Amino acid sequence: MTFKAWSNVLGGFHRPRLIRHALRDFERGSLAFGMIEDLLKTASAEIIGTQVSLGMRFVTDGMLDWHDIFRPFVEAWRNVYPDGLLRYFDNNFFYRIPVFKEEPEPSKLVLATRIRAFKELAEPANFKVVIPGPLTFTLLSKNESGLSKEELAKSIAKVLNMELKEAVSAGALAVQIDEPIVIDPYIELDDINLLSDLTKIVFDGVEAFKILAIYFGVPKKEVYKKLIDLKVDSISLPLIENPKNFLDLIKDFGVGDKIPILGVINTRNIYDDNYDLVKNIVKKSVDIIKPDEIGLTTSSWQDLIPYRYSLRKTVILGEYAERLSRELGFDYINPLSIV
Amino acid sequence: MEEFKVPKKFPTTVVGSYPKLDPAPEILRKLRKKELDEKDFHELVRPAIKKVVDDYLWAGIDIISDGEQSREDMVVYFAERIKGYTVGDWVRIFDNTYFRRPVIFDKVEWTSPMTIEDWEYARSISKKRPVKAILTGPYTMVEWSFDLYYKDRKEAVLDIAKVIRKEVEEYLRRGVKYVQVDEPALSTRPWREDAELVKEALEIIFRGVQAKRVIHICFGRLERILPYILDYPVDQFDLEFKNSDFRLLSYLKEYSFDKELGYGVIDVHSLQIENIDEIVKDIEKLMKLDIIGPEKIYIDPDCGLKRLPREIARAKLRNMVEAAKIARERW
Repeated sequence: MTFKAWSNVLGGFHRPRLIRHALRDFERGSLAFGMIEDLLKTASAEIIGTQVSLGMRFVTDGMLDWHDIFRPFVEAWRNVYPDGLLRYFDNNFFYRIPVFKEEPEPSKLVLATRIRAFKELAEPANFKVVIPGPLTFTLLSKNESGLSKEELAKSIAKVLNMELKEAVSAGALAVQIDEPIVIDPYIELDDINLLSDLTKIVFDGVEAFKILAIYFGVPKKEVYKKLIDLKVDSISLPLIENPKNFLDLIKDFGVGDKIPILGVINTRNIYDDNYDLVKNIVKKSVDIIKPDEIGLTTSSWQDLIPYRYSLRKTVILGEYAERLSRELGFDYINPLSIV
Repeated sequence: MEEFKVPKKFPTTVVGSYPKLDPAPEILRKLRKKELDEKDFHELVRPAIKKVVDDYLWAGIDIISDGEQSREDMVVYFAERIKGYTVGDWVRIFDNTYFRRPVIFDKVEWTSPMTIEDWEYARSISKKRPVKAILTGPYTMVEWSFDLYYKDRKEAVLDIAKVIRKEVEEYLRRGVKYVQVDEPALSTRPWREDAELVKEALEIIFRGVQAKRVIHICFGRLERILPYILDYPVDQFDLEFKNSDFRLLSYLKEYSFDKELGYGVIDVHSLQIENIDEIVKDIEKLMKLDIIGPEKIYIDPDCGLKRLPREIARAKLRNMVEAAKIARERW
């Protein structure tokens, strides 16, 4: 096997205690926002540093200030507000339902300032930005805008496109849209067809490595077949959640022309992942796909497990990726070893 | 004092939790810091329970709870008292709110009553209204914990079911009339296998129980699990309707639902107070479908009220009770 491999975490991290307490104090009015910003920068720098030191090719800033994946955008856009809580998939975690009253309009952009603040810390790795996919955003929101579902989804995709373009201008080299809604066993194929249009809109004119990430489960076959036709460079799949079903999908349908990113470190539990199991999944995947390049990643964001485990899982990912490369003969891309 | 008579039609009830009232938050903090023992803790939390019960009585709720004032969280509370569990690190539930996700590190065992003391106190001040025994179900306990001991999820769930059963026996000895098991995690995994596992657990918990047996499930896509749960060994399904815009109603009709129904008409995730007319109309939605009669319908909120400000929780309950009175006249 001679192909390139690299690693990156999927998304955000759990908040360290310092940030939890600072945000609590801020909400109580006993801490100024400027203080929070400083603490967030420090905590984010630690998370970025962890990823860089473990050889990740793309790094995130950990999104420590995001209350949920939608919130920063909901708060930065006009005509939408965060309402009551609803469970986020099968987790004991709740997001605030975005309620759209009209077509969203950005009053400010969320991502670019973060990249400008952190991209130098990420060197020599590359900065990845992560946004909610427009289909998930739409289907997990309440639409009181008078627009049809399709119209609202497209208007969300257009604003997200503005975010991504500005993020790339600011220095992001990888852009990821998260579409966990596609694992919903009751999702309509019409919605997946809509996702095809939305993906074109959200990535239009975005000159960066484009990733579609799914997580929390396995999509239906007919959904998966459509996902691998979407106009993205790479697809991130949480194989460790259900190795057999994912391997069957890959065997039956391949991954299209996408660079597969294999989610092999389970970030919904606190065990150290079994190395032999991870190796077996990776080996079987590459035997089937015969890729030129693969990514290795976590099965979901690392915000569903305590902070110390979110760091631990990052360490496991980095160490396993290096070891797998040695044992399976990948050409491992570690930005630290290039410089 | 004369026994309180629960209305035959549309009795009103609560799912369980209520906003934490003083001094509960401070007492919980002291318990966490190990500044209090269990006995003192339950003694000191009584003023909070008293306020909750007073609110329920003011609103006119027929079947009340102790408001779960002692429970930091529905899973953590039990995990702290079941042998084989330890309380883990903080994990976010929403916004900047966290719970200490427990860890199972050994075989679980019941050691002593966990919830009885608060329930008995609530019952002593309830003016003869029945007080529900409310227990977190074994499936939810396992799903919302990290399990480092059991290799098999089923084994873990059934072992915790045996623990919960012991607690139910304590209630039965004290003459409990309503026992509710909360399984909110079930709606997030709408699979037959999971539903059957919960059924097996409920058979352990409710075997031979003469009190009213209730299961509470909320949020998620309830309609997906409905066909798998109708034969559960319970008398009543307590379900969320309001938040999901009563989507479940047509499915109840489709599956010829004929058990008692805890009918959630209050959105516990919204600060907007449902007015009386609105609640009556929501009850009418159910009545129009002619699925079950009013004697099988319990009017209650979608879920626990713990996330609401107290004044909003009170106002919602008061309107709910007034709406139930109108419903009794109408149907």
